[in-house]
Amino acid sequence: MDTVSNVKSSRHRIRNTIAGVSSALFLASCAKNAPQDIFQPKGRNADLINNLQWIVFPIAGIVGVLVLALAVYIFIKFRDKGQPIPLQSHGKPVVEIILTIVPALILSVVGVFTFRAIFDLAKTEDTQMVINVTGQQWWWEYDYPAQTELGITQPIITSGQLVLPVGTKVLLRETSRDVIHSYWIPALNGKKDAVPGRINLLRLEADKPGIYAGQCTEFCGLSHANMRMEAIALSKEDFAKWVANQQKPYTSPADGTLAKEGEGVFLNQCIRCHQVNGLKKADGTPAIAAPEQNVYAGAAPNLSHLMSRNTFAGATYDLLSKACRKDVWKAPSETIGAKYLSGVSESCLNQTHLRAWLRNAPAMKPMYADPTKLKPSGGKYRGMPNLGLTEDDIDKLVAYLLTLK
Amino acid sequence: MFTPGSKYFLGLTGLSLVVAVLYVALVNPSDLGAIALLGLAISGAMISGFSLFTRDGDAFSVAEAAEANAVSPAPTFWPIVFAFGSALVLLGLATNSTVFVLGIAVLVGGGIEWTIQDWADSSSSDRELNNFVRERAISAIEYPGLAAVGLGIIAFLFSRVILAASKEAGPVIFIVVATLILIGGVTVATKPALSGKRLVSVLVLASVVLLAAGVTSALMGERTELVVAAKENHYDASNRECGAEASEHYDHLANNAVAMKSAIAATITVEDGALYAQEIGLTKKLDTVTFSRATALTVLFRNLDAEEHRLLVNLGSAKVGTTDVMEKVGTCTQLTGKGQTQAMTLKIDTHATAAEPYSFTVPGIKGEIKLVVP
Repeated sequence: MDTVSNVKSSRHRIRNTIAGVSSALFLASCAKNAPQDIFQPKGRNADLINNLQWIVFPIAGIVGVLVLALAVYIFIKFRDKGQPIPLQSHGKPVVEIILTIVPALILSVVGVFTFRAIFDLAKTEDTQMVINVTGQQWWWEYDYPAQTELGITQPIITSGQLVLPVGTKVLLRETSRDVIHSYWIPALNGKKDAVPGRINLLRLEADKPGIYAGQCTEFCGLSHANMRMEAIALSKEDFAKWVANQQKPYTSPADGTLAKEGEGVFLNQCIRCHQVNGLKKADGTPAIAAPEQNVYAGAAPNLSHLMSRNTFAGATYDLLSKACRKDVWKAPSETIGAKYLSGVSESCLNQTHLRAWLRNAPAMKPMYADPTKLKPSGGKYRGMPNLGLTEDDIDKLVAYLLTLK
Repeated sequence: MFTPGSKYFLGLTGLSLVVAVLYVALVNPSDLGAIALLGLAISGAMISGFSLFTRDGDAFSVAEAAEANAVSPAPTFWPIVFAFGSALVLLGLATNSTVFVLGIAVLVGGGIEWTIQDWADSSSSDRELNNFVRERAISAIEYPGLAAVGLGIIAFLFSRVILAASKEAGPVIFIVVATLILIGGVTVATKPALSGKRLVSVLVLASVVLLAAGVTSALMGERTELVVAAKENHYDASNRECGAEASEHYDHLANNAVAMKSAIAATITVEDGALYAQEIGLTKKLDTVTFSRATALTVLFRNLDAEEHRLLVNLGSAKVGTTDVMEKVGTCTQLTGKGQTQAMTLKIDTHATAAEPYSFTVPGIKGEIKLVVP
């Protein structure tokens, strides 16, 4: 009796679990606040993919349901009830022809739309802007080659957030410094691998201003899950302002300030890997970072104009406090540009995370940054190590970083 | 305890070992003679062991001898092959690695065949059945092995022909041979009634032609430009001379060695005495290109002018070792003729200073392409 009860109880548990998981999955599809939802395209390229999936998925769904239903019907109808084995025969030409022609026709219809979408997505001849995108464990670097018609008279370099003008056909030229990564902003286009030694092309175009989230989609090591990115689409006027700001020359903090002391800490510690364009050493010579001597892949994020970005550490953490970030993200498309361009002020800075990062970066994001375990990488780090900064140094550094607008 | 045969070989082993030790101590430890004497000692020890194990093949009694001789195993040449392999291994140790590897292959092949043969012979007193057992066991190894060896010989001989033929003739030979194979295959497939003798005759004829062509080509040697290229050692950076003039080592037949890569970051072109760059996605001609730091990227150099040119990349200056002496950093392509293209892959670890900006230049051509590493 007990055994029968246990079996029934076990069946109930399985049934309840399946029902619970199915309901959760179904309800998850109704989520509104889903920044990486593939069914909410915000640009022409994502539209092409979305239109295609609205053709392919229903057809695949109908076929899948029919096949499953037929299989279930056959399992039940012809289950073993002790009846004799039916006469076995080989081949039924009419059925075989139908079962060949019908899938071929379905695949042909799907194929026509798929090929058209693939060729449309691969177009590059009408590109209006080019951005080089380089993946590295575990962050993305963006550099904008000089394009005078867009006001970019000297190359711009940034990381974490890709800034682009709306209504512009932007061509990303992707590559990688270490392992294969994959760039994906679902609202703007599909995925494209970033492969060392190759340049792969991906077209983005945003319809209206906004912030669109993305995620590296090729497993790339320890912090793959933390390798995020955001595309910031700005109106053309706002983009011009962003470009102008990025091209502003470096201004050293005023003497006697905490930020000036922070510049000194930066020159002592951070310059080993991080570049700030225009920064000079005490003797007046340019301070050139040497990440190739310390970082396995050979580069670290360029921190020029850091506070014009909203994120840091491979877009894993926000530079803006929760309230200020919400203010930018929830802003209507007419005002989002202005809010984004205001950058990170002292009152809006997410001091908690930035200080924690400066205190001990590997504790904030899994990285290969333990100095005792660097043998496989030839003594070089993958990620930022714990620099052992004092709280005093951190105060100075935060004050300095706030000046990098 | 010791059989007469084993005594003789034990004596040989001991003597050669003593002589080998004396030779090593008194003459030369790394000399060919030491290896030969040690080889002799090892061989003597092995044969002594065999003699002891088989008691020189003698039976203890007449009945035992009668039983042993009732079913004699099929005669086989695999022990000879195995022994030949052992000799080749020893010879290879003393001469060169090719002979050694060949010896290992013969030794392993002969050993497997001998083992299977012996195992099959022990399955019954019926030789035919034993042969059948052997075939069943060994065919799965023999046929693929022979096919691999055959294909290797064909590939080797054909590669000699292609390496000896001129660059223009090579593709023609390839197309003709491929066409003949295709025609042969189609004929065999569509005419199953084709006489086996005819087929064998054609295959024998083709083998003879291939063998003759391969041997002749191997004797002739590789075509001149390959010999010259190997002699010049294009890929040795110390042979790199980046002036406008032809270098002593670096430029002859350079364009034959170009690998066109599919992932090109930029193309730099010389046309009508002027220099310009193009990048994927930008249709206009550029005077600045941007390369990501610490990333392997390839630039193509295309010369559309009549004169030969080379592309230089200038990457500032760096200290020589630990000294304070500064030297220019950069590299260049080989001299590139009219309408020809070369590829140059760069990985630039650090960005330039305002005092020494990076650039691409072409000796003899005015202007430059700025190279920005942000």
